[in-house]
Amino acid sequence: MLGAARYSWVRQVVALLVLLALWETAGRAGMLNPLYLPSPSQIGAAIFDLFSDGRIWPHLEATFTAALGGLALGIAVGVVLGVAAALVRLVAELLEPVMTLLNAVPRVILAPLFVIWLGIGLASKIALSFILVAVLIFFTVFTGIRQVDRRMVERVITLGGDRWALVRHVYLPSVTAWILSNLKIAVGFAFTGALVGEFVAATHGLGYLLSFAQSTYNAALMFALIVLILVVVLLIFGIAGRLEKYLLRWQ
Amino acid sequence: MSLVGPSGSGKSSLLRAVIGLQQPLCGAVETGLPRSQVGILFQDDALLPWKTARDNVALGLILNGTDGRTARAEAEAWLARLDLAGFGDRFPRHLSGGQRKRVALAQVLALKPKLILMDEPFASLDAIVRARVVKDLVALVERERISVLLVTHDLEEALSLSDEIYLLSQGPRAHITQHYVVPIPRPRDPVRSRMHPAFAPLYEKIWADLSRAVDPRAEAA
Repeated sequence: MLGAARYSWVRQVVALLVLLALWETAGRAGMLNPLYLPSPSQIGAAIFDLFSDGRIWPHLEATFTAALGGLALGIAVGVVLGVAAALVRLVAELLEPVMTLLNAVPRVILAPLFVIWLGIGLASKIALSFILVAVLIFFTVFTGIRQVDRRMVERVITLGGDRWALVRHVYLPSVTAWILSNLKIAVGFAFTGALVGEFVAATHGLGYLLSFAQSTYNAALMFALIVLILVVVLLIFGIAGRLEKYLLRWQ
Repeated sequence: MSLVGPSGSGKSSLLRAVIGLQQPLCGAVETGLPRSQVGILFQDDALLPWKTARDNVALGLILNGTDGRTARAEAEAWLARLDLAGFGDRFPRHLSGGQRKRVALAQVLALKPKLILMDEPFASLDAIVRARVVKDLVALVERERISVLLVTHDLEEALSLSDEIYLLSQGPRAHITQHYVVPIPRPRDPVRSRMHPAFAPLYEKIWADLSRAVDPRAEAA
C-alpha cells in the first residue's frame, strides 16, 4: 500500500474529471438550467472568449496591481509597526487597541469610505487590500517578536551585539519566518481586498466584471471569472510556497 | 576555577552578573578585562537556527568589527580545529547535540577570550560525546591560556577540570563558604585526572562540605 499514498493525486484528478463529466452530461441532457448552472463546456467557452478578444487583460492587470500593491504595502507597514510596537512600549500602548479593534471588525466595512476618500480608481482598492493585510501582519510580527527565544537574544548580546544587531540577526529572521508561514493567508486577504473594492465601485478589475456578470444574469461569465480567480490565486500560492521552502530551508 | 553549590545558591546568577546580563543588586563585578574578552557558554546552546554553522561562528567576529569574508574564513578554521571541518554549510537543525555544542564553543573561542564563563555547558550531552568535547576543550584552554569559570553541580567535572574550586552555600543569601586547591598537575587529561591520588580524598571532603551546605543537620551526624 506504500505506492498508494504516492499516487493519491492521480485519484484526485480522476475524481475531478468524473465529476466534470457528470456535470457536463447532466447539462446536455437538459437537467440543469444554464441560467443558473451552465455546463463546464459553456464555462470553458466563456473563459476562452475572455482571452480570445483580449478584453480580460486590463481587468486582470487592475486586480493584480491592487492585490499585489496592497500586499506589499501591507507587509511593509505591518512589519515596521509590529517591530516598533514589540520594541517600544509606548508604540504598543497606542497601537494595540486600534489594531485589536481593526482585527475584530470585518475590515471590508471600510470599502465605501475608501471610495469616498480615494475615488473609484486603483487607490481605493489598494487601500482596502492594504488594511486587510497590514493588520494581519502587524499581529504576526508583534506577537512573534515577543515570543523570540530569550536564549538567542542573550547569545547575541554576549557576543557583543547591540540593539541593532538583535534586530538584524534575531528579530528580522524570526519575523521573516512568521510572515512566510502567514504569506498564503496574506495573499488571500490581499485579493479579497482588491475584489471587494472592485465590487463596491470600479471601472476595471475581476471584481468589477463579477458584479457586471451579476447585473446581466450571466452565470457562465461568473463561473468563468471564479475559475480564473482560483487559478490566479493558486498560481501565487505556488510561488509563495516555493519562496517559503527556499527561505525557510533551515527549518 | 570552578564554582560549586546546591541549586538555588545563585551560581548562574553570578555568571550572568559577570557577563552583564543581570545587574547585581549591590556591589560591582570586576574582571579586569574588556567585555569582548569575556565569553560565555550556556547549558543550552542557542545557535541561530537560520544561520549555518559557519555563519554562527562568524557572527561574533562580525559583531566585533571583523569584515564578513575574513570572519567566515576564520570561522571555518575554528570549526576545523573543533573537528567540524566540512560542516560549515549545515544548519544547526542538521547537527547533532555534540556538534552544536562544538559550534557554540567555536563561536566563543573565535573571539579569543581571556576568560570563558561556563554554566553547566555539558549537562545536555551524553557521556561519551561529553568526554570528547571536554577533552578538546581542556587541550585548547591549556594551549591558549584561557581562564575558565565553570559553574557546575557535578563535583567530578569540577575536580577533573579545575585548579581551584569555590563552594557556595545554600541560598537565599548564599555566599562562598569554602575554597579548595586541586593539586592535579597540568596539562591534564580530564578522564585520567580522576585516577590521580589526590582526586578521591578531595572529592570526599568537598562532598561532605556540600552535603552540609544543603542540609545543616548532616553536621550532627
